[in-house]
Amino acid sequence: MKRVVSVSLGSSRRDHEVRTEVLGVPFEIKRVGTDGDLERAVALLQELDGRVDAIGLGGIDVFLYVDEHRYVVRDGERLLTAVRRTPVVDGSGLKNTLEREVVHYLAAHTDLLPPGTKVLMVSAADRFGMARALSEVGCDLIFGDLIFAAGIPHAIRSVEELRRLAHRLLPELVKLPFHLLYPTGKKQEEIDSEKAAKFEPYYREARVIAGDFHLIRRYLPERLDGQVILTNTTTPEDVALLRARGAGHLVTTTPVFGGRTFGTNVLEAVFVALLSKPLHEVTPTDYLTLLHRLQFKPHILPLAGDIDESGQP
Amino acid sequence: MTKVASHDEISKSLKSFVEGYNRNAQLKAMNRDWNRTVLVQATDISSQHTLVLRDGELTLLEGTAGEADLTVTAGSDLLRDLFSGEITPTEPYLDGRLKVLGREEDIIRLDFISLMIWGE
Repeated sequence: MKRVVSVSLGSSRRDHEVRTEVLGVPFEIKRVGTDGDLERAVALLQELDGRVDAIGLGGIDVFLYVDEHRYVVRDGERLLTAVRRTPVVDGSGLKNTLEREVVHYLAAHTDLLPPGTKVLMVSAADRFGMARALSEVGCDLIFGDLIFAAGIPHAIRSVEELRRLAHRLLPELVKLPFHLLYPTGKKQEEIDSEKAAKFEPYYREARVIAGDFHLIRRYLPERLDGQVILTNTTTPEDVALLRARGAGHLVTTTPVFGGRTFGTNVLEAVFVALLSKPLHEVTPTDYLTLLHRLQFKPHILPLAGDIDESGQP
Repeated sequence: MTKVASHDEISKSLKSFVEGYNRNAQLKAMNRDWNRTVLVQATDISSQHTLVLRDGELTLLEGTAGEADLTVTAGSDLLRDLFSGEITPTEPYLDGRLKVLGREEDIIRLDFISLMIWGE
């Protein structure tokens, strides 16, 4: 039995544990939230170090990739360096590969992403691979990084503009306490109704709302009208919420284990545990090979009609 | 770098900051919804300035001007270097040399603005 634990800065209310098999290998996968407490996360990581097969870091990014540039989030780095023996990943190594695949799959095999689809990515600096893929398949894009991280009502409308702003802003922003830029802990449990109303036009203008689910959820308007939500880390409660608010489909980019989808960090940790090779030798091709062996496809859940909230029609 | 900057040096830096902002049409458009008054004051000399942002336009006033939404406080040399773009605000803010009082979201937005004016 391989053991993978995801230590998250997110809410402990989203904690989860499943036993499953991945490519014939039994896994125990656990997610532990520390409610935004960085010190608790460090202590927990030190406790787990050497005692599990791989560790994922959730609720925070360590590395942000924009083209060939890699930006290191200071708080994330602090968590990463707390672990000395066990391989530890934040999902960024897999995210680009996985989410690019998902976008191209949706464009080629479904009618959810035809050319010209209006897509709101609530944040793209943490998902540059997805942003580029959406651009490649001809979507009409709005990147909400400035809107949702800084309250600046400026819709970034091209990958080029996103790249330019990222190179200008990220070298400094990665030094800030992470909670200033992203909802951690209790903030993940609350919808900011005032801002949700303010940002509603961006949601309503789009047919697809993509990106980090905590951001999508925090500013979710009272009413959607059939939009596709392209994300991960959703729980059955999240599915119920999206259905109640009128979303049309939920597409998740990571597999469903025990009724919920875990973060990319969990899947990357599972892959690292499967690969049994030093982390620095793992390549995107290794991940791609595993995705193909898993015959991985995004999970597409229609939200209209009578469908089980666990995701099973 | 001198340890103490004069009021005139801070004024010059702030003017440069305001010019940098007002030259940037995109930045002005981004801030049309954000009307704020920012008091800038030195801790080691008698020096106060007020930045007023209204409908996207930024203006600089000497001294105080009504109630401030944000108060930026630091040593005079730091204020001079900060607003002239020689240094970025993040490190001094994190190590406590630069204090910014106000709503958290306003502080973040001010940080974004300064990085968009000077950041590379």
